[in-house]
Amino acid sequence: MTINTEFMIQTFFDVLAGIPVTLELTFITLLLSFPIAFFMALQKLEKKKVSGKIVSGYVSFVRGTPVVLQILFLYSLLPTILNYLIKEILKLEFDIFSINPMIYAFVVFSLNTVAVLTEVFRSALLTVEHGQLEAALAIGLNKCQAYVRIIIPQAIVSALPNLCNATINLMKSTSLAFMMTVKDITAIAKVNAAFGYNYIEAYLVISVIYIILCTLVQLGYVAVERYFSSYKRFSTN
Amino acid sequence: MRPFHPTYIFEVLPQLFPYIGVTIAVTFGTVLGGGLIGLLLAAAKIKRGRIAKVLVNTYVYLTRCIPSIVMLFIVYYGLPELLMVFGIDINNIHKAFFVITTFSILFAANMSEVFRSAYEAVNKGQREAAVSIGMTEFQAFRRILLPQCTIYAIPNFANALVNLIKEGSLAYTIGLIDIMGKGQLIIGLNMGSYSLETYLALFILYWILILLIEKSLKFLEKRLLQGRKILNTAG
Repeated sequence: MTINTEFMIQTFFDVLAGIPVTLELTFITLLLSFPIAFFMALQKLEKKKVSGKIVSGYVSFVRGTPVVLQILFLYSLLPTILNYLIKEILKLEFDIFSINPMIYAFVVFSLNTVAVLTEVFRSALLTVEHGQLEAALAIGLNKCQAYVRIIIPQAIVSALPNLCNATINLMKSTSLAFMMTVKDITAIAKVNAAFGYNYIEAYLVISVIYIILCTLVQLGYVAVERYFSSYKRFSTN
Repeated sequence: MRPFHPTYIFEVLPQLFPYIGVTIAVTFGTVLGGGLIGLLLAAAKIKRGRIAKVLVNTYVYLTRCIPSIVMLFIVYYGLPELLMVFGIDINNIHKAFFVITTFSILFAANMSEVFRSAYEAVNKGQREAAVSIGMTEFQAFRRILLPQCTIYAIPNFANALVNLIKEGSLAYTIGLIDIMGKGQLIIGLNMGSYSLETYLALFILYWILILLIEKSLKFLEKRLLQGRKILNTAG
């Protein structure tokens, strides 16, 4: 067994170019999913409503099927639907196949992450006592103010560990974006490896990069958690 | 717009059914392999010294950070070469071997945390009480600790198992023919047409499989908790 160290160093620097793509995929997806997931979590908390049932069904479906399958399905469905919409209904001259594959990646990963975050937010909102909302409404805040000023600051503390998990899982699943021809870390390494059949080296290099990225994300969350839970430290003193 | 034939979903489903066995067999092998390694890791973390704890923590941390598809390819390309150094030739071995090895490595990390948290959830006094009434260490574990640990372990185990099945669908990328692999083969045979219908059929199969696992483990948990309630009221 021989390890081509020269190739590994070369690939390491090549792959660095893919890091912004992976980070972009991860964080823009998170930003897109945040508000939708929060809204859906509120719906799900009211079980009697029809919208709550729909949200539950959606969450169960997304969490019950593999990400690869979701990627393959949407990546073959979305372009045809868009093509139909633009060519047949809007009658526009626009080449649908020139769309940056990143757009599809954002859609696919957001649809997935929304379901994950809905569960995270729902369980976080449940940790805040119902009396808090009632008290806030009783002193004359409206519902929006009550959520922004009273409920969310408390809920976010208990949501952070799960959010961290969700972020890491999302970052790991962006490694599948190469199926949508996005040039992320994994895609670059794959191309490099195929040239001289140096697969082991290439994949070892990217696993090191994923470990570094993961560590950075976790450190970031530790810092955020310290910031948001400061109110707890004061109240115990 | 490409034609869409919902009826084709029901034509594909029977073709996929025989391969559910492969998916389940691979999952089962991984649960056995990964569960065993996870048990050893958890035992090492609980019983052994600080060094073992650091090593296990590092293992769990690293496997948590590496995407399963990357791990799968490292094992698929690396393991034969590694074993070749020791003079073992596994180039003609079944693809399932690589899949089970990869996911055992990843599943073991999850399971070690499941076992450890379940073990720590049971009050230490339970073991001491059991030993003090004359049970041996093994009897105390089997009759007192294990039944209680099982209840605590079930929800986390269900989560890990569901994730395993979902990640396991990546096995088709190295050419294992499970339901996902068969679905891809069917799409290939149809020259790419009917792909949406085939994916929908796969969605249905995976969703049902995972719902069944979740529901049955929840049922099991409820059953086991029932016994506990009776004991509590009696005591």
